[in-house]
Amino acid sequence: MDLILNTGIDGIKLGLCYAIVAMGMYIAYSVLDFPDLTADGSFPLGGVVGTIILYRFSLNPIFALLGGFVCGAVAGMVTGILHVKFNISKLLSSIITMTALLSVTLALTKLLTKTEFTTVNFSYTANGFSGLFNNGNEVLSNTKIIIILLVCVVAIKILLDLFFSTKLGFMLTATGNNESVVNSLGKDCGFYKILGLGIANGLMGLSGALYAQLTRNYDNTCGSGKVVLALASVIIGLSLFSKIRFVKPTTAVIIGGIIYSLALNYFTIIDSDGTYLKIMNAACFAIILIVNNGLKKNRVKKAAKTVKKGGEPL
Amino acid sequence: MIELKNITKKFNESTVNETTIFNDFNFTVKKGEFVSVVGSNGSGKTTLLNLIAGTYLPTSGSIILDGTDITKQKEFVRARRMSRVFQDPFKGVASNMTIAENLSLAENKGRLYGLSKGVSKSKTEYYKELVSSIGLGLEDKMNIPMGTLSGGQRQAVSLIMATMTPIDILILDEHTAALDPHTADTIMEITDKIVKEKNLTTIMVTHNLRYATEYGNRLVMMDKGNIIMDKSGEEKQKTKTDDILSVFVEISVECGN
Repeated sequence: MDLILNTGIDGIKLGLCYAIVAMGMYIAYSVLDFPDLTADGSFPLGGVVGTIILYRFSLNPIFALLGGFVCGAVAGMVTGILHVKFNISKLLSSIITMTALLSVTLALTKLLTKTEFTTVNFSYTANGFSGLFNNGNEVLSNTKIIIILLVCVVAIKILLDLFFSTKLGFMLTATGNNESVVNSLGKDCGFYKILGLGIANGLMGLSGALYAQLTRNYDNTCGSGKVVLALASVIIGLSLFSKIRFVKPTTAVIIGGIIYSLALNYFTIIDSDGTYLKIMNAACFAIILIVNNGLKKNRVKKAAKTVKKGGEPL
Repeated sequence: MIELKNITKKFNESTVNETTIFNDFNFTVKKGEFVSVVGSNGSGKTTLLNLIAGTYLPTSGSIILDGTDITKQKEFVRARRMSRVFQDPFKGVASNMTIAENLSLAENKGRLYGLSKGVSKSKTEYYKELVSSIGLGLEDKMNIPMGTLSGGQRQAVSLIMATMTPIDILILDEHTAALDPHTADTIMEITDKIVKEKNLTTIMVTHNLRYATEYGNRLVMMDKGNIIMDKSGEEKQKTKTDDILSVFVEISVECGN
């Protein structure tokens, strides 16, 4: 019983952290229509930068989050510039950045540990420094941790909702929706794509920094699978709430992130050494897509029926 | 207002597929003119619009808008002074966004898209007034995504969006071609009303010879990249649909249609 409860609490903590990655992916994938694989690189980038800021510069943990955001944003903009200025396809430009970031994070890890070892688990508590969730060896209670995470997630959600109701936010939505509208308004779509990818990956970097503080540990491999995780969260969230108009997409995506992370966490009870975690990840994602496509088909069929029956006025 | 000088446009240049659409082509539209352009498929009508709008750059020649050379200007830069309504009703609007959001984007054309609020209550009232003037009952659907509207409704909103801010030229690219005959008539009436109200310089490409004769004050027929008929003023008023139809049949037969 305890195991199930604790797994659930851990799942919620991780889920809140992943909800931020999911919101970033929502901007890239849903708003800008850009399947962005940079996340696998910008997430650990944020983690290592955040850890360096905490450990080497001993700054406030908030600065670690901001540093993660800024570095992630730069990575996202690189993807955007590769796509916009050099006409590389969306998928490929993000793969290029993601691959390059693997080396960047390794180099930064050397800077962090000041040793030649790059594959490390760099523990916050073992090295005796504090993040948002620990004070040296003292770790905050679960309630406090969840409250801090909630504050971060809700603050980001509100900022995003406000942003997407501004004129600039409208332009981002329009860019993903129909580039010819943006063109006809006399603006360059490229600028909005780069900006949007910057914000999206900034959030991924921020989430990476938060994740390192939450687990009190920076691990070089923490980025792998974040794209799938983020995409799955976005699709779960959006398809669950697609029929309910008053639920904002950002809220839907957050809930999607928590659901997916809970599911994965419960799976680790059965698969304790993590051998099948990735295949579970992939299978989950495939099932979500298949179910989602099925739902869409039904919706289209229903819509076609109503049009046949009554037809629309003009 | 706009002047195309010695325009040559070749596609697939220096390949076996090289095709020349225009060869030393000249065309001028004066301020306040409403030009209808007709012609068979492949006569160069749409290429003409694409050259004016900047979708294609000419192989040689120059394009002058109100005294400034815009030959090399990018499409989105030119768009600040001209608006275009496309044949495809999906192309002129952002379909995931509501009518009010679309209109607020269009209203802000030429200004900075910053962090000020997108749609306010007072603005929505103004937008409602604007769409109620076209009489399609859209004023009750301000917060509905554009994607759920019909083609005709979308095209009407595209027209409003295209003409919300002061522009030099309105380009209509077969904007009624994808609509049913009744809706097409309604959209054409709305177009005429807006053009007259705002006294817009307009270039309209159409396949509908009746619209070409009924609306506008100048009629141009194109064939193989040349202008073979150009009537304006009284001469245009006298022209009947049948007159241009006979010429049209003649050139079409030559093409083998």
